[in-house]
Amino acid sequence: MKRSLVPYLIGLFPLAMMVVFFLAPLAFMIVVSFYERDPLGFYKVSFVWDNYAKFFSSFYYTISMRSLWSASLGALVVVLLAFPAMYIIVDMHRRWQLFWVILLLSLMCLSEVIIGFAWLILFSESSGIPKFLGWVGLWENPRSLSPSFGAMLIGFITLGFSLVALMFYPQMAQRDRSIEEAALTLGTPPARVFYKVVLPNFTPAIVSSVATMFVYFLGVFVMPTMLGRPQDWNMTVIITDKAVGDANMPLGAALSVIMLLFTLLIIGGLMLASRKREASS
Amino acid sequence: MSAFLKRLFVTAIAVGLILPFLIVAGVSISAESNISFPPKEFSARWYTELLTQKDWLIPIRNSLVIAAFAGLLSVTIALAANYVLWRLKSGFGKLVFALGVGPFMLPPIIIAMGASVFWAEMGWYGRAEATVISHGVFFVTLPLVIIARGFAALSDDVIEASRTMGATPWQTFAKVIFPLVLPYIITGYALVAIISVNEYLISYMVSGFAVETLPIRIFNNVRYGYTPVVASAAMGFAILTIGVLLLLSMITDLLKLLGASRD
Repeated sequence: MKRSLVPYLIGLFPLAMMVVFFLAPLAFMIVVSFYERDPLGFYKVSFVWDNYAKFFSSFYYTISMRSLWSASLGALVVVLLAFPAMYIIVDMHRRWQLFWVILLLSLMCLSEVIIGFAWLILFSESSGIPKFLGWVGLWENPRSLSPSFGAMLIGFITLGFSLVALMFYPQMAQRDRSIEEAALTLGTPPARVFYKVVLPNFTPAIVSSVATMFVYFLGVFVMPTMLGRPQDWNMTVIITDKAVGDANMPLGAALSVIMLLFTLLIIGGLMLASRKREASS
Repeated sequence: MSAFLKRLFVTAIAVGLILPFLIVAGVSISAESNISFPPKEFSARWYTELLTQKDWLIPIRNSLVIAAFAGLLSVTIALAANYVLWRLKSGFGKLVFALGVGPFMLPPIIIAMGASVFWAEMGWYGRAEATVISHGVFFVTLPLVIIARGFAALSDDVIEASRTMGATPWQTFAKVIFPLVLPYIITGYALVAIISVNEYLISYMVSGFAVETLPIRIFNNVRYGYTPVVASAAMGFAILTIGVLLLLSMITDLLKLLGASRD
């Protein structure tokens, strides 16, 4: 085929869209993080470190620790549930696999707001689990189970489960089963095969999905506000609160930049680790 | 025993994922004006309210219009990027592709904050067009990856045949490539549209105070005392989402699309 300019010209369209509407906003966010707050408008052009200085206070230290804790706990639990579940599901009948895929895709697409609301109802004393337990007689004075840390965590897990499960799905379905089958024919118990063969093979995938979920849960807004108590609110809620509630965009931008750097650090670390593994194998 | 335990585990998870929605469904058809379950009397009044009251109809319209255009924009970008990668198979195509995967790696709050300051500076803060563009650009990853599967499945023979018969690259694209990747394009479009309808944070931070979308409406409603209309809205959402996915599963092989079987 003759080398032509046309593909490059077509390529300019997606390139320009991504640069202008994805990279430029991120770059501009960094610029705004050095601006000053303008009580009458969005911000005043300036160059100050004040917004970053605010981050180094005990308030933001508490918020950061809290966000890291809820995100890492959520990520661990969700992967611990999704991994064995997908291990079982890929061996199910095709019709059940389709059921699961549609269920997972629906949950993946479904709004955080809807999932949060559904749990809110299920946790409420008027219609959910507390009412049922009271009715059965297991709980004398049923009270709402939300807002609480546990409710928020369950919201996280429902939200993340579909994503992790769909990430594991192709790798799990296409895995090389020859060693497992050999071990099984030699009389190894299935549980032992799972721990000794399947799990070690999937360690990299598990580590990277925990990291992905961790990053994802850091940026969750609706679950903490709907199901969590104010003392469970993570950095995302605070950023939104500052930027929209207090109309302090520069501070919101500065906090987002800190989160962005942290995220890039994790993604970079993951990439480095996977490159090292490839080099050594 | 072990097979039974396995089934129990998977079923328990399925129940945990579905149960909340069953309760919401129950609440949405209850005649009482306080949220309660199980319903004592059934009625469709909350659905009627949802589909006749202006303060619900406007958010529904906003959401659907934003989703329709965001899907179009997203698929156009994804198709162009994939075509370029397929034609050039080189650095430039890869760069475009890598940029498209970027938004998926970052927590949504960072993207929402960036979009918020960007549109404030551009003067489009609070406009639906801004939400459309932001949604279209940020959800591009899904159609990008899905359409890439379509291009990967193209066999060289067809392209070669069309070329030797004297078709121009444009004719080859319009008559051969486009029809072949169309199912993937439709799938990508549908997914972006559904996700856009459901998205909260970006819509809220870009134009939430002026353009109320359905998730924003529901969230505000839940926060400041709610009626069972919210439950009917949530059910409408869930049914729409599942309906579109079921339709998709009929026109394409979803299991293969998600990479369950070897192509």
